[in-house]
Amino acid sequence: MTPLLSCSSLTMRFGGLTALDSLDLEVDEGEILGLVGPNGSGKTTFFNVVTGIYRPAGGKVVFAGEDVTGMSAQDICRRGIARTFQRSRLCLDLTVLDNIMIGNHKNLNTGFVHNVLRRKAFRADYEAGLERARTLLRALNPLLAGHVHRTVSELNMMDRRRVEVCRALIGSPRLLFLDEPSAGMTHEETRRLMDEVLNMDMGGQPLTMVLIEHEMEVIRRVSTRCAVLNFGRKLCEGDYESVTADPQVREAYLGADL
Amino acid sequence: MPYRSRDLVLPGPAGCILLALCLLGWSVLFLKAEEQSHILVYMISCGMMVLVAALTDLHTGISATIRGNERTWDFCLILVMLALLLIFCDDHYNLFLLGTIMVYAVTVLGLNVQLGCAGVINFSAASFFGIGGYTAALLSGSGLPPLLALPLGGAAAALTGCVLLLPVLRTSGHYAALVTMAFALLFKVFLEVSEWFGGPQGLSVQPLSLFGTDFGKDVHFETLDVSFYVKYDLVCFILLCLVFSFVRRLERSWIGLAMDAVRSDETASACFGINIARWKIVAFTTGNLLAGIAGALYAMMLGYISPANFAFADSLLFLSILLLGGLGNSWGVIPATIFVVVVPEKFQVIQEYRYLIYSALVLFVIVFRPAGLLPRMPRHYFGRSA
Repeated sequence: MTPLLSCSSLTMRFGGLTALDSLDLEVDEGEILGLVGPNGSGKTTFFNVVTGIYRPAGGKVVFAGEDVTGMSAQDICRRGIARTFQRSRLCLDLTVLDNIMIGNHKNLNTGFVHNVLRRKAFRADYEAGLERARTLLRALNPLLAGHVHRTVSELNMMDRRRVEVCRALIGSPRLLFLDEPSAGMTHEETRRLMDEVLNMDMGGQPLTMVLIEHEMEVIRRVSTRCAVLNFGRKLCEGDYESVTADPQVREAYLGADL
Repeated sequence: MPYRSRDLVLPGPAGCILLALCLLGWSVLFLKAEEQSHILVYMISCGMMVLVAALTDLHTGISATIRGNERTWDFCLILVMLALLLIFCDDHYNLFLLGTIMVYAVTVLGLNVQLGCAGVINFSAASFFGIGGYTAALLSGSGLPPLLALPLGGAAAALTGCVLLLPVLRTSGHYAALVTMAFALLFKVFLEVSEWFGGPQGLSVQPLSLFGTDFGKDVHFETLDVSFYVKYDLVCFILLCLVFSFVRRLERSWIGLAMDAVRSDETASACFGINIARWKIVAFTTGNLLAGIAGALYAMMLGYISPANFAFADSLLFLSILLLGGLGNSWGVIPATIFVVVVPEKFQVIQEYRYLIYSALVLFVIVFRPAGLLPRMPRHYFGRSA
């Protein structure tokens, strides 16, 4: 079976700093890959390169059999990769619904006639979108589904994360990147959020996920496979036990003398 | 039950009618007043009322009444406008003032699409307003129906705006502001040296004519003289209503949402498949189109235009109206335009210092009420309930 996402010798440089150093990484359909590594090891850069925010200095990204190297973020989104951000990038002054619908932009009809002149048709369209957003929210937090018209600035951190996850999921992506969902949340909250995400019904489609996380407990519970990055290189990959037992990983994470 | 001042406001349509009557009464008194001291008293009383409403929480009740009965409120406003036209039907001066307010409001609504929705800064709104005006002037005597000057003026402004698209898209923040400022300054210099455009003296513009009525002439009924401005004001009002509802629908649609996303966070927008350049172009062009249409109508109403009508200071004026009213809130545009246009006209004492006062006011608003007098509301696609 060909992998859903396959990156070969992916390289990204910022001036003199090599953030990704000929990285080879594959993600299979239906798996949940935990991406770990110390701060500055290139995890987020990897997301940014694959999602098209940065253009790689070298290497190749193949998604679902298509070479997407150097494509714009917009084109890559349309091919079915969605993501969340490490530091929340929700629009605080927009409502929960608005933020989620932004994630569905590629499926929305933004034609002038539809939006401005044919308000009845638009209303039906809007109500379908509203229902879909509510269904997604209900799966994460039933309370939140009743607050779709609140602005995001009124929500707590946990609910904001939920909105971010819904925004990434509403476009039915084939591949989901979660960039440190635990940032700014307690262990318990992270655990609940991940359970909610895993239990989500994606309409029979298997959800493939790459998860960046510092919280090793989350990685242990959630991921089917782990990859460890350090200085932009892949240190090792495998299941959780073998990766955490790897002396190189322990050295990179905890220092040499442990 | 605890006393709440917001309960004072009548709920439902009755509240709307009461509000509209208050509005009408105050407008008539204010516009009829000529004595500077009277005008000052009216202005202070209005300011006091706003202050009292803000302090006693009365405004939440008022806005709830309006939002709960949007249709009634819209209808009431239309009646207020028609009543004003009827009351002042022989008063050239006040009618011209009303027309100016409406034309300016249309331009600022366009600016609101640019800056308020998509975050595209434009310091040359007056230039696009002027392009519309000069299009109307050049079309004078061409034999084309004068009404055609409105869409053509809008189209000319939108097309000229395309010249600026590339630099506006490739720059951001201060640099984009500088690009549009440079355009505004160049535009005025260009008009002043160009013989074709009449140089500094400007050009005369033929009056509008519709259904065989010449908009340049007064109408006489029995004993009543109806100013020709009534006709212009009606056209201005129709234009304003159309543009207002257009902009409101645009804001409350997926288009408005995409523009909001572009304004708030370009990186995240790109990651969700939003074409940033496309929405900036749409917003910029739409705004210029509206400014051009408004400019063409204004020029016909004035009958004569010169580069001095479309100076950089006027662009700043349009921007300050938007900031004053509340960036991104179309409703805020209306009171802000009324304030900025009417006060210096009626209160002649400050005429000379008006730019000083505007700048002080805008600074005051930015410091103490950064979102404007009527801040942007969370989006509700269909009324409050939906």
